[in-house]
Amino acid sequence: MPSWQEFQPFIVTGLALGGVYALSGVGLVVLYQATGVVYLAFGAVGATGALLAWSLISVHVASWLAWIVCLAFSGALTLAYGMVFGPLLARRTPLVKATATLGLLLILYGAMDLLWTTSGGEVRSLTLPSDSHSFSIAGIQITYTQLIGLAIGVVITIATAAFLRFTKLGTAMRAMANDRDITATLGVPVRRVEAAAWLGCGVLAGVAGLLLADMVALDATTLTFLVISSLAAALIARLRSITLTFLAALLVGLVQNLMVPIPSLTNYNDMAPFVLAALALLALSRRRVIALSREEV
Amino acid sequence: MYGLMSRTRVIVAVVVATGIATLAGYGTAAASTSTGSATAKTSACGTKPGVKATGSPIRLGTIVTNQSGTSFTDISNMADAYFTCVNDNGGINGHPIHYYIETEQSNPAQIAADARQLVQTDHVVGVVGNTSIIECSVDSSYWKSHGYYVIASGIAPECYGTPNYADVNMGPRYSSDGAVQYAIAKGIKKIVFDQSNVPGTGYIAAGPNALAAKAHVSIVQLTEDVPIADADSVAIKEVDDAGPDGAVILNFTPPDALVILQAAQSLGIVDHVKMWGCSTPCNTDFLSQSLGKAWNSKLFVNAELTPPDSTSTATMKLYKAIYQQYGTTGPNKVSGGIGAFSEMGFTEAEIAVHALEGIKGAYTVKSVNAAFKGVKNFETGMMCQKWTYGSYPTHIANNEDYTVTPDNGKMVTAQGCTKISAVDPQIASYRKHAGTASLDPTSS
Repeated sequence: MPSWQEFQPFIVTGLALGGVYALSGVGLVVLYQATGVVYLAFGAVGATGALLAWSLISVHVASWLAWIVCLAFSGALTLAYGMVFGPLLARRTPLVKATATLGLLLILYGAMDLLWTTSGGEVRSLTLPSDSHSFSIAGIQITYTQLIGLAIGVVITIATAAFLRFTKLGTAMRAMANDRDITATLGVPVRRVEAAAWLGCGVLAGVAGLLLADMVALDATTLTFLVISSLAAALIARLRSITLTFLAALLVGLVQNLMVPIPSLTNYNDMAPFVLAALALLALSRRRVIALSREEV
Repeated sequence: MYGLMSRTRVIVAVVVATGIATLAGYGTAAASTSTGSATAKTSACGTKPGVKATGSPIRLGTIVTNQSGTSFTDISNMADAYFTCVNDNGGINGHPIHYYIETEQSNPAQIAADARQLVQTDHVVGVVGNTSIIECSVDSSYWKSHGYYVIASGIAPECYGTPNYADVNMGPRYSSDGAVQYAIAKGIKKIVFDQSNVPGTGYIAAGPNALAAKAHVSIVQLTEDVPIADADSVAIKEVDDAGPDGAVILNFTPPDALVILQAAQSLGIVDHVKMWGCSTPCNTDFLSQSLGKAWNSKLFVNAELTPPDSTSTATMKLYKAIYQQYGTTGPNKVSGGIGAFSEMGFTEAEIAVHALEGIKGAYTVKSVNAAFKGVKNFETGMMCQKWTYGSYPTHIANNEDYTVTPDNGKMVTAQGCTKISAVDPQIASYRKHAGTASLDPTSS
């Protein structure tokens, strides 16, 4: 078993990774709360936005403008998807809704492979100004980007919780999470509320895409499927509580990293998110807390 | 009204898609500008400059992997560029080369079907440029039974351990040998050899293990699931295991190698080991540009072919000129630009053309493959040694390498031609069969 000193750097990187998962996880939960859709294309949308930003920077467009384009693209694409497919699938089961977003994921994934090919040893990277500032903890450097990633996770969690609790739109979203039809009957403009949720989720996908492109890799496959680990955190939180999602994401990142220095576990650390999610689902289903679909609540 | 809205949506979608495609194209072009000065004329590729070949075509084929995250099409595309150049400049005794490119996605049934497509439908008389993760494993028996001697860029063990493949590259095992050998020569005390968790890791690891054991240097073998999603923990583990007198040697494709190296840099642990090394895939200007100056002379990369940035031979100039004229546009564009992959495609096509030009009479499966197999001591101008196919049970035709290091966005030579150690039993076995042919020095 490694010593405490050997574990320390992995605690730091685990928290940073958890912050990364939290960013996506919170976005997933907010959208699910408002629309009942598990948005599996979250990572692919962010990845496409980040690659778009990289292309703009490559042709000497100002970085800040490229980042805005990334956020605008991610927001607009997600909003467009929500507006076109949301009403059509509104009465279908959560499984159908999730599978439809898988379709968007695959389309974007194919488009990225076509437009930003990886042949010829081509590699890309997206750096942010915050990369050049760092400080040391446990013998390793932490860049401001990693700190910002974690901070954004905290800020978005707190802000979203406050938004859902204290604003009219947030209250409408919570009402829709309980029953879309009754909420509509009460005069809440459900399409507008859903649009706000789709747009917010899309912009968050863009933010996550930019940060993850810097912190993890500017790679279509990596960014597209990183959402699966975030989904594990969201599932642990029963797709309901954003605070729990945030904490679960940190836990997933920590456990995943703390397995690395243990020789017998190091090759299995990638499965940590799914094992934790499966254990949480099993425990929760035994207590009959989790519902398979919103209709069954 | 609804129809108008639908039409508007479609128009917006088309405009957005076109915009993205245009930007992506610009981005790629902007990242692919490292071509050096190409002053040679492409007419040097053929025997009749400026005369298009109009005779009956000589059909050649290839099978390359092209799947998400792994694409070797730059190799076949550069070979195609070379053949197009030859066709524009006299062809092979007036015959143009028609090159059939089949792409595959690591599906054995598909790969087997591709080989049959080339032979039975396209009627190719030779196979040149195959580069695939598993094609050699799937098709080696088929080529043998049909009398084809493939000129390839190898990856799987069968690409080197069977009589019907000869490669211009070393492949992951011998390239990793070269990187480990360089580190040992620099006096490191421990090696961490980390590679992708894909089929064949044991075969690749056997070479570095043998070299480390012979040098009494301890070696730690690691594998990582790719694409790497948590490079920080990978980098920390590598550095912890290697220690201050050790070396970390990577065997990954460029994107995964890059995220590990960038993670080490951002964590501030680059200097926690004595040196970093990498097998051939890291030998790309893209990687050097992405890493920046911080890695100048800190990372040492095995290079199986002549470093293009610091070489100005006639062959290198021709390669760059052909790339510029034939490889930068069209459906078979060489998107990765100047680099190891396109060098391999150039070299394979060059060897094939050399062999075809020596044929007297009809271009049949028998005559073409006899010519391929008969290539001996051919000066490609792109590798340390002359290239020989020969009748050997195994083929490691390229077994002498360079080492390069990043230098302000380029890869420059850190060590000239060095033989891969025969401590690797596969190298020893090949040299035993091939005799001195495999060690003939080049004239350049």
